[in-house]
Amino acid sequence: MSSGTFAVLGLFSDAHKIVEAAKQIRPRKLGRLEAYTPYPVQGLDRAIGLAPSRLGRLVMLMGVMGAGLALLFEGWTSAVDYPLVTGGKALFSWQAFVPVMFEVTVLFATFTAGLAMLFALNKLPFFGHPVLHSKAIKDITRDKLALSIEATSATFDSEAARQALVDNGAESVEIVPVPAWDRALSLVGFLRIVAAIVAACVVAGAGLYAAEKLMPVVPPMIHMHDQPKLNAFRKSAFFPGGRGMRPAVAGTVARGHLPPAFATPEEAGTLLSNPLPLTQSMAERGRKVFGDHCAICHGPVGDGVPLLSRAYGGKPGNFLSNEIRARPDGHLFGVLMLGKNAMPSYAADLDKDDRWAAVHYIRILQRAQNAKDEDLR
Amino acid sequence: MKAATASLPEALRPLELLQGQVTPGSLDDQVLQFPAQRPPRAWYVALAVTLTALGIGTLCICWTFYYGIGTWGNNRPVAWGFGIINFVFWVGIGHAGTLISAILFLLRARWRNAIARFAEAMTIFAVICAAIFPILHTGRPWFTTYWLFPYPNERGLWVNFRSPLIWDVFAVTTYFSVSLLFWYLGLVPDFASLRDRTAEGWRKRIYTVLCLGWRGAASHWVHYDKAYLLLAGLATGLVISVHSVVSFDFAVSLVPGWHMTIFPPYFVAGAIFAGFAMVVMALTVVRKTMNLANLITDNHLEVMNKLILAMSCIMGYAYVMEGGTAWYSANPYIQHTFKNYVSGFYGWAGITTIICNIIIPQIFWFRRMRRSIPAMIFVALAVTLGMWMERFVIIVISLHQDYLPSSWHKYIPTKIDFGILLGSFGLFFTLVLLFARVLPVIATSEMKASLSERQP
Repeated sequence: MSSGTFAVLGLFSDAHKIVEAAKQIRPRKLGRLEAYTPYPVQGLDRAIGLAPSRLGRLVMLMGVMGAGLALLFEGWTSAVDYPLVTGGKALFSWQAFVPVMFEVTVLFATFTAGLAMLFALNKLPFFGHPVLHSKAIKDITRDKLALSIEATSATFDSEAARQALVDNGAESVEIVPVPAWDRALSLVGFLRIVAAIVAACVVAGAGLYAAEKLMPVVPPMIHMHDQPKLNAFRKSAFFPGGRGMRPAVAGTVARGHLPPAFATPEEAGTLLSNPLPLTQSMAERGRKVFGDHCAICHGPVGDGVPLLSRAYGGKPGNFLSNEIRARPDGHLFGVLMLGKNAMPSYAADLDKDDRWAAVHYIRILQRAQNAKDEDLR
Repeated sequence: MKAATASLPEALRPLELLQGQVTPGSLDDQVLQFPAQRPPRAWYVALAVTLTALGIGTLCICWTFYYGIGTWGNNRPVAWGFGIINFVFWVGIGHAGTLISAILFLLRARWRNAIARFAEAMTIFAVICAAIFPILHTGRPWFTTYWLFPYPNERGLWVNFRSPLIWDVFAVTTYFSVSLLFWYLGLVPDFASLRDRTAEGWRKRIYTVLCLGWRGAASHWVHYDKAYLLLAGLATGLVISVHSVVSFDFAVSLVPGWHMTIFPPYFVAGAIFAGFAMVVMALTVVRKTMNLANLITDNHLEVMNKLILAMSCIMGYAYVMEGGTAWYSANPYIQHTFKNYVSGFYGWAGITTIICNIIIPQIFWFRRMRRSIPAMIFVALAVTLGMWMERFVIIVISLHQDYLPSSWHKYIPTKIDFGILLGSFGLFFTLVLLFARVLPVIATSEMKASLSERQP
């Protein structure tokens, strides 16, 4: 009995002999059988009693998962989260999703095969294995085949193992001791790694700082950006006053934006009446203006219940109230131009016809929300 | 074994894949010596040349960044130009590596062992070269993530999964990562061999980390073999899918000359064709300068030349099929485009394509030509030029005159276009040269396993 032995290695040159030796030694149950070879030797895995690899099942599972995840992701992005019709195809057009499904399947399956093999099944990286510190490893990764009888209990008989290997044709035998293990990671080693990470962060940070502060930055593709033309707000040496944009001639009035001839909405109510006839297209236009500009505060039906949160504050007028129903068209028009309470002027946003169209639509809402029997007939 | 096969007709005898006595030990001494040696002077000269090319390309790319994509010849109908020609060309070059490492592995073609590592490396470098072009072609490469990858963003947008362009992104990125993984897995046992034959020092430390503590345990080989087999099977599907997806970029559109069902197989065959030419070209140089002629024999090169001949015939068939499609479609637009391939302003490009891809490789019907180094370098150069020209024909000629004559426009590439193309060749061969000196150019563990007397 020798407690400090990890394994007994017997070296062979001939692949026939090592397989034969493994077959002979295996029934004697001297210890766990293992082989170390520079290349895979056919039949050696069965001779030392290894089960076939289970990798295939894992790869199958992950491949199917890749296909499923890809299909779900493509379907979800294309049909649910951002439904986009392209070329009149169905939103969930699975045929078009197949190429990406295939690629993701291959990606999942191959990386499972490679990484699970290395890291999970073979438990690499492992730099402390006793065989790596044996004298024989130089030959093992070169041209020798090693059959190893490894100690599994304190009763391991290394002499019997050695004899068995010699009897079965091993050219030389090495007894690999259990290495004198230090703790996996000493405090000093740990501190070194921490110090290295900190140092790397400091260097990277300082380097980035220096790069940003000291290096001249050349903006890419500025030639598309800086064209030799005058932009509205750019300085110009050509025009007096140095302005790039030309001011309008004094007294210029934009079409549809005549300044108001009244001082208050009440005054407008007495002066103006709606000049536009109420037609289907006028009602549509009014509905658009109302929806774009009014509904957000006055509510989609004009009842003064805003689409905005109550937290916004203001108390928008209720168009369905008797007070507003009684006001003349010109009054409403005046409010649109001059604003009222918290409401700003819409003179710049809406031209004259838009404003009158909105007034028509308010009248339509008032009637629709208070419909009489004959309206519904 | 020799005695048993001597009575067979020559075509049925297994190929002699080794010259002289090769043992696992001598293999290691021969292949794994290079990383520890100082490279010869010729290597430095070659590196200087490739780095110069790479430098010119880098300057041209910087100029593109500074001045904008307007420095390229791309215009309104020919929006793809060199950017996509070079992308398709380089992705195609990569396909030979995966074919050799995956499909020929599944077919148990033993001759692949000696050249697989080198071809896989060329795959990875070619895909790196390919990736440069579409990224530059986006115009503002610093926004590439934003356009190419589906990630949750504040704009609430997703990529359009019904577009072949996004299939391409998935295919090429998957192809690159899988090729890299495949290559690395093959290198792990070789890194272990390098670790154990290198004296203490920084090299040994690097190999120790890279081989992850590989110790060649039989219990590890079981899983390793299985993983390699699975990867080969999956990569087989992948290699066919990648260039098919690249061809969808064309075939799914309606441009005359592109909208054909023959495109996917035609593109895959063309990719393997161009890739094999590049592998043959590089291997003839490598085996001469690195004295590997006993491992990469004339027989290896001859088999590859036979494959080039076969692919050339498939390409010829595809060209004829294209013509047949144009004729049988009775579609004046497709017929016009097909006539443009061999006549008109760019007719010389189509003629060059046919001469280089279909006619010149026919010399490989003669055994003497298949085994002659100058002949195979000539054919390889011709095929490389021809396959690049083929992509030029497909992209430029189809685009420059499509349905609407008022938008027809000629495409003239600029010096910057050629500079970036040169730079991609510089990058490719720089990486090949570095690889040849730093990593094992032949997969030694695979070679050892296939030496006939090394298996029970």
